[in-house]
Amino acid sequence: MADALSLSPLATAPLGSRAGVRAMLPVVSAYVPFALVVGSAVAVSEHPAVAWAATFTIYGGAAQVTVLDLVARGSGWMAAGLVALLVNARIGAYAAAMAPAWRTAPVGQRLVAAIMLTDVVWGMARARGDNRAFYLGAGTTLLVCWPSLVALGALLHGLTGDVAVVALLPALTLGAIVVPQLAQPPTRAAAVAGACVALLTPGLDTGASLALAALIGVVAAYRARRADMPRTETSS
Amino acid sequence: MNLVLALTVVSLGSVLLRTVPLLGARALPDAVAETAGWAGVAVLAALAARAVAHHQDPALVLAPLVAAAAVGLGLVVVARSNSILLGVAVCVAGYLAVVAVSGLVG
Repeated sequence: MADALSLSPLATAPLGSRAGVRAMLPVVSAYVPFALVVGSAVAVSEHPAVAWAATFTIYGGAAQVTVLDLVARGSGWMAAGLVALLVNARIGAYAAAMAPAWRTAPVGQRLVAAIMLTDVVWGMARARGDNRAFYLGAGTTLLVCWPSLVALGALLHGLTGDVAVVALLPALTLGAIVVPQLAQPPTRAAAVAGACVALLTPGLDTGASLALAALIGVVAAYRARRADMPRTETSS
Repeated sequence: MNLVLALTVVSLGSVLLRTVPLLGARALPDAVAETAGWAGVAVLAALAARAVAHHQDPALVLAPLVAAAAVGLGLVVVARSNSILLGVAVCVAGYLAVVAVSGLVG
């Protein structure tokens, strides 16, 4: 069967669901501080139970904190919802990027994959040739752990300390997911462009900054691929 | 009520963003998927860079620079050892060492 998985050399490695679980556990530990921050925001909201339940449907800490923060500051529900949705818009790009590898999967499995889709799960599976079993193992682990940790953060609200360095751990984890993918010139160009946009637009809100990073990243990737084409053709 | 409505908007939108491309995966052209992949990598890099650039620590004057150095060191360790936990440990140790030194100097 010549499905999309066989297109990647990484997909030939023994990467099953257990490998996904094993790979995700250290990442979860790096995300504990961020989960506690999200949990604290849930605890001080006007409806903590509803805010926590949305952890499963929003399934993105930054968007969840954004909407809770905006409503707490008196923003209208539509504006708060749309700004937070802009923060989560990247999930649509991840889902679209997964399409070739998941085309042959049953509808139910694709639905499960969609439910557990988030930054680290997508990035880790992409670095392993979009291996489906790996994705499901890693995704299930995070789907169990993340809402539990957010609940813990809500319960421990006010008891957790404020150590600045722990705020860097999600950044380190995301960076660690990107680094193995930099071998391909277009991907490298997209990553560098995305990072530059983020550094050059500190005043923009998160959603707008990420949307701009995606746009400039795609342009940079296309240019890098076009520049790389003559070299590839010559070498072949 | 305001919060419930706002959460509903984000939740419904997020679920649609996740499910529509995957449920329609058979109809999605490869070129679109490839472009989306580049956009995704750009966003991941932007998220990491943004967290470093916005880093704040009352114990440090140049907190973003120290953060960049600590995260960079951690990434080098992750790339060489293939261990995120080791990278996290080195990042935290390096950062705390700078905080301790700046405390002694300051």
